[in-house]
This record gives sequence, structure tokens and C-alpha cells, in this order.
Amino acid sequence: MKSLAKTPLKLAALIVFVVLGVNVTASAQNPRISTAQLDGLASKATETVDLNLDESMMQLAARAFSGEDPDEIKIKDLVNHLKGIYVKSFEFETAGQYSDSDLESVRSQLRNSAWKKIFSASSKKEGGVEVYLMQIGAEITGLALLASDPKEITVVNIVGPVDLQKLSELEGHFGVPILDIDLANPKRKNQDRQE
Amino acid sequence: MRKFVAFNLMVLALLSCVPITQANGDGFGDVVKLIEQFYHVKHQGIPLLARAGVKTATTVARISGGRRRQLAEAGSVRVAYFEDQDFSANGGYTGFKSSMNALLVGWTPLIQVASLKDGEQTYIYIRDAGAKFNVMVVTIDQRDAFVVQMNLSPQNLAKLMRDPDEMGQTITSEATDDDQ
Repeated sequence: MKSLAKTPLKLAALIVFVVLGVNVTASAQNPRISTAQLDGLASKATETVDLNLDESMMQLAARAFSGEDPDEIKIKDLVNHLKGIYVKSFEFETAGQYSDSDLESVRSQLRNSAWKKIFSASSKKEGGVEVYLMQIGAEITGLALLASDPKEITVVNIVGPVDLQKLSELEGHFGVPILDIDLANPKRKNQDRQE
Repeated sequence: MRKFVAFNLMVLALLSCVPITQANGDGFGDVVKLIEQFYHVKHQGIPLLARAGVKTATTVARISGGRRRQLAEAGSVRVAYFEDQDFSANGGYTGFKSSMNALLVGWTPLIQVASLKDGEQTYIYIRDAGAKFNVMVVTIDQRDAFVVQMNLSPQNLAKLMRDPDEMGQTITSEATDDDQ
């Protein structure tokens, strides 16, 4: 039988196919979500925050926490293993400045099988919060949080092995908002919220 | 001919796996020039202001090392100041942010904050420079702007990163505080 790799043209086509295939698979399991499509909202927002802490910055940031204080040890340990924290938020003067399609541009990335929604709450007054985890095997490799109310959108994306028990320690640090959600046990803690 | 096409396809396939890198320019000078072109303003060097005896609430006497300097590596601070000029023109935050991100290849945009209500913008970029880090802070409000670049040790940068919201203010104050 004639081997596919025997002719140079077919070999080249095979390489292109493999490279593209690897890229598609890698992006499906990439816990880093894209929020660039929200950037257009900045021109309508009264407050805009865009925070990018990549892996090298995370390792650097971990040095800021003391190895003696028990609370700081927890944060240091958590931060040491993370590969990135990305926060983007927009605040608007009035309601109606963003549309569902803006949120959908983020949600659509979280709809693939690698992501699992672990928490969802919404109310007309306070808006909604959705939390998604990416899990490969037993390991959590990423977290995405989408919070919105009529005058605000916040997207938080944490990349790396996330320990849900310790995650609340990050709230209020590195631009991560205070979530008031027990992510390690979301249903029980938030049973008063609409699921 | 088929071999030539095949070779080119293979090169293309391999190139698609290789990240594209570009040479780094002088970030500080590039950003000052961008602000001047984007907002049609002119910067003043801090030493010139100091020599001329100009003194405002945020202006400065010394910029290159001093008794109260806590964070920056001595002699590494560069400051450009734009005083009492109009920064409301030309599309504001969105256009300026895109231009600056495109310009500062090799720098990591750590935090970018804008408040349209107050007409304020803050940008912090970081670049790994071996044993130290180059940090650049650009702050623009309705009438004034600062560009500050300094070298920080990893320890000092780590301290500042505990609270990124305050980082720009701390670095700008560090660079522009009067040592008297």
C-alpha cells in the first residue's frame, strides 16, 4: 500500500492538518477565555478595569506574601500554583448600555464540554452571577466568573489549578471582586438564591 | 514545482507554531511621543520645570534618587509631565489604549483603568529586565498627564502588586514627590 507520507505534497498537507488539529484541541481545553470582544463597551462605560496577571506576574506576586502569617501562607500557596488571573469590568451610568450578545460572546466559550457551570444565581435587582470550572481529570485547571447587573459587567478568569476551598482568600486581592459565594459548596451556601 | 509548493506548505505549517517576536523599542520615549501625537499636546521634562521654578501640587523637585525614595532603583526614574493641556480630544480611552498596546511590544499590560466620569486613565506596563523589572505608569486626567518609568527589584514590585489598584498612584508619587 502506498504510504500517505511518501509524496511531499501529501506530507505537507498532513503537517498542516495536524498543526491545525492540535491548535483546535488545545483551544478547546484552554482555560484562558477571550474577553477582547467586550472592549467595545469601554467607550460607553463610565469605569473600565482590565487586569492581566500572567504566570510570571503570578510568581512574582506570590513573593509579596509572608511565609509566616497563616492567612498570607494560604494566599501565597494558592497564588504560587496559578498561571494567571484576568479581570475585566465595565460600569455604566445607565442601564441598557450592553446587550445579551455581549455576554453571549463570553458564554459561548464556556459552553464547550471542558467547562462545567457550577453556580448560577440571578435576580432582577442584583443581576446574575455564573461560575464555571474547567476540569481535566480530577484537576481543576481554570475558573470563569461572569457577573452582570443592569449597570455593570465583570468577567474574572483564573487559570491554573484552582483550590476552591482556598479561593475565597483571593477575593479582594489582585482585582478579584468579593463574591460572597462559597464555591467549594455553592448550592448549600446559596440555597436562598434562585438557581 | 510540486516539491516547491510542498516545501512552502511545510514551512508555513512550521511557522504557524512559532511565536512571532519583535524588537523592543524605548518604551518611555515611544509613549511620550504617542501621547503628543494622539492628544496634540507637548510634554515638559521634570528637570526643566524644576529649573524654571515651576511648582504645582503634584510637581516635583528631584527625580533621580533622593532621601525619601523607597522603591525605585537609584537613577532609573524617567518622568515626563504634561501640564494644563487638553486630554479630552480624539476618541479618548479606547483608541489610546489600543495604540499604546500595539506600540509597547515586549511589555505586559498589567492593569488598565479608565474613569470616563472623572476623565482619568491609568495604565501600568511591566517588562522583565533580568534581575529587575522595568515598570511604566501612564496617568492621564482631563488637564494633566504623567509618564513614569523606573526599575524595580522583584521584591518591591511584588509588594506593589498586592494592591494593583493603588500601584499606579504609589509609583507616580514615588517618582514625583518632593524630597524636601
